[in-house]
Amino acid sequence: MYKFPNSLYSDVRIEDVFETNISFTKGKINKNSVTRYQAAFIRIFNGERWYYTSTSDVDNIQKEIDYLASKARTNEGIYNHPIVRKFEVNKGKFLRFEADDVTKVNKEEKKKLITDLFNVIEFREVIKTWGAAYIENKKIQHFFSSKGADIVFDSQRVGIGIRVALEQDGKNLSETFMKSSDKFDDLKNQKINLEKFISKCENFMKNSRSVVPGKYKVILSPFAAGVFAHESFGHKSEADFMVEDDTMKEEWAIGKKIGADILSIVDYGMGVGSGYVPFDDEGTKSKETYLIENGILKGRLHSASTAVSLDEDLTGNCRAVNFEYEPIVRMTSTYILPGDKTKEELFYEVKDGIYIDTIKHGSGMSTFTIAPSIAYLIKDGKITDPVSISTITGNVFETLSDVDGVSDELELLSLVAFHCGKNDQMGLPVGLGGPYVRVKDMNVQ
Amino acid sequence: MIKEKYINHLNETAITIVNSRVECIGVKNITKTGLRVYKNGYIGIASALGKYDNEKLENKAIDSLDDKIKYTCEISRDKTRIIDKRNNIIDDKEFINETELLFSELRECQPNFSFSNKIKMIEITTTLSNDSNLYLQHSDKALEVELYFKEKSSKNVIDGEIKYFGRNYDRRLLVYEINMILNAYKNNIKLENKETYPVIFLNSNNIILEKFITDLHGRNFAAGVSLFSDKQGQKMFNEEFTLYQSNNPEDVTNRTFFDAEGVVNKDYKFTLIENGVIKAPYTDKRLAEEYNLPKTGSAMSDYSEIPHTKYNSNLMLEESNKTVKELLGGNIGVLVLMSEGGDFTSDGNFSTPVQLSMLFDGEKLIGRLPQIQLSSNIFDMFGNSFRGVGKDIFPFSKDKLIVMDMKVSEL
Repeated sequence: MYKFPNSLYSDVRIEDVFETNISFTKGKINKNSVTRYQAAFIRIFNGERWYYTSTSDVDNIQKEIDYLASKARTNEGIYNHPIVRKFEVNKGKFLRFEADDVTKVNKEEKKKLITDLFNVIEFREVIKTWGAAYIENKKIQHFFSSKGADIVFDSQRVGIGIRVALEQDGKNLSETFMKSSDKFDDLKNQKINLEKFISKCENFMKNSRSVVPGKYKVILSPFAAGVFAHESFGHKSEADFMVEDDTMKEEWAIGKKIGADILSIVDYGMGVGSGYVPFDDEGTKSKETYLIENGILKGRLHSASTAVSLDEDLTGNCRAVNFEYEPIVRMTSTYILPGDKTKEELFYEVKDGIYIDTIKHGSGMSTFTIAPSIAYLIKDGKITDPVSISTITGNVFETLSDVDGVSDELELLSLVAFHCGKNDQMGLPVGLGGPYVRVKDMNVQ
Repeated sequence: MIKEKYINHLNETAITIVNSRVECIGVKNITKTGLRVYKNGYIGIASALGKYDNEKLENKAIDSLDDKIKYTCEISRDKTRIIDKRNNIIDDKEFINETELLFSELRECQPNFSFSNKIKMIEITTTLSNDSNLYLQHSDKALEVELYFKEKSSKNVIDGEIKYFGRNYDRRLLVYEINMILNAYKNNIKLENKETYPVIFLNSNNIILEKFITDLHGRNFAAGVSLFSDKQGQKMFNEEFTLYQSNNPEDVTNRTFFDAEGVVNKDYKFTLIENGVIKAPYTDKRLAEEYNLPKTGSAMSDYSEIPHTKYNSNLMLEESNKTVKELLGGNIGVLVLMSEGGDFTSDGNFSTPVQLSMLFDGEKLIGRLPQIQLSSNIFDMFGNSFRGVGKDIFPFSKDKLIVMDMKVSEL
């Protein structure tokens, strides 16, 4: 299809993107757009440097390949270069969403999905302003490489978000109800869930008190646990941070004990939802990667370049947020594996603690931080009063070792409004989740 | 029917640095077009990436009028203004070579540190024009330096960051500023056992402004869910605290002097809080009309969106006529260089971990503190505890320094 330059490695990623965004504010429509575009990202590697460009002119990709080739010094031995040898050569069509193609669903039906929920919100006096949105993204990717890779695969993400801002007697709270999936039909029939959600928000707003800062035993909901895994450890598993860094390689040596025995964390792109990444943006097939297994550091997330640098295998984790960017090491779906306690047992064993139900955001460095939204005290094994918390922080290693309870059911979440940011690439869809996770000591502010 | 076009053209060269060396060179040349149509009190929109057929785009925009998205505001008209702030920061042909020279120098003067992430040259031209004689065009070019540094013996993924976004480049000054930070970094010092400290934030660190960003949003303000609802005209903060939204090319780079609805403010600024008094929340035309609020020219949109008020991070503090040393008044302060993950509660309590901070006497960085936690409340931070914004700045990044007292504890 393309004439790739001699003595250089090249690859081309073409994205055929279909997006719908329907949004309302207080019942009035303010967006109803369907966007479709094709665009491409082209890379060339000469063994010393990468050169890349992006274009929306997919009829002239050859011109872009030729332009990049003119910038790079050729290398006769490029196909013996370790990174180039590492690249997989996959071929075929891998289209999962042909039967449930969301682009075939009528726009009015999508609009009705959210307008049918309005009567749950609009007459609640405590809700002062609100917004509702339906968002979908369907992408078909074609990946070609000068090694002979030729794959077509798709991904699909759909979701609704209802953002409510409540106020009463000087107290306020903003929260977002989300329901996401990779199939349109999964978004139907959300009235009861939305009603329960609003009642929970109302109760929290009216009755929450500021937490007394200190160290607490904390139980994280599957959502909060997923964010915890993502922020506290997921980013540290991205191997680009370790390239040519002997200190990091020693600190994060495979086989090192870094967490509690009951803790296992996995990254895998073949699940359902936002983190579905059958092939990464270097054409590597997704692999199930144990990052931690029973408390032991087991694996890392790689691009071809980092895999070569660390002499490890490819994992299918080299992703770009869209056609404008180069692929870098990113997570797909990252989650804590379930354990052997029931949820009830997990709570029952806590005399004094905190339960984190929802969160606003999280971030992870050597210290990770979670900003809880809705949280409750736990007293004698029971969830009691709502409590307002700014942040929960912790040293990563200490906290991973302080996990002392994990419930027995995994909830893998698809979150259309939760995206991951790294360097200048913001808004990458990822999946996350877990069971309920208990940590014996966290710093709560 | 009035037709209006919003065109954004981006020309970018990005150099990726890995372990203090140039690893990738990327170029981008992308045009995005949004075509809006206004008719009978409604707005329609269609968008295109790259080349497009104008008639097809227009028809698509006209078809979208059927969505019945209301727009009854006065369209911006009868104004032509072109501002071009592009200058030759680093010659295009020299950009890669200069970057290599920069890192060669850094490898030599800071051999115990490695640097990674990106340096970019970003050139943007944005045009908003319509059938009612509106033609606004802003062209600008910025050097963006976003580098992470790590001490080679450190077990952290990142130890700190160096950021710059502006129209100037001076290798000598950049290296000077990096050396200033890294030399102080090497000096580990303990935090004294004091409950509060004067804390200095860089203006580019939006974390302390997050509550203003959310709660001065016109819709939240008007709906009564903001901490500042019903407080318009009231003095809620320190006399020395003035917060404004700025599109002024002298203040900011690569930001259009007009908003997404073509509103051009006087001096390209709008003051939201003046001498501690809340003057106005920020709005777009529709929001201002709906809630009878001042029009602040805060509409934003990307090329495919109808202009509306998003969370606006274009907020700046007015500086005082005092230096940071004078604001510290003889005290030693804590300069926050990296704080990720903090937030406010709904009632204004604030807390953040600080991954990198240094003791600072107002002129000299003394040494690196262990990781700390800061906490306060917004009405203290910008009220009694607010000392002011220093008139001096970092030598290269030109970041303003905001000083306030806060509770500080070791993490």
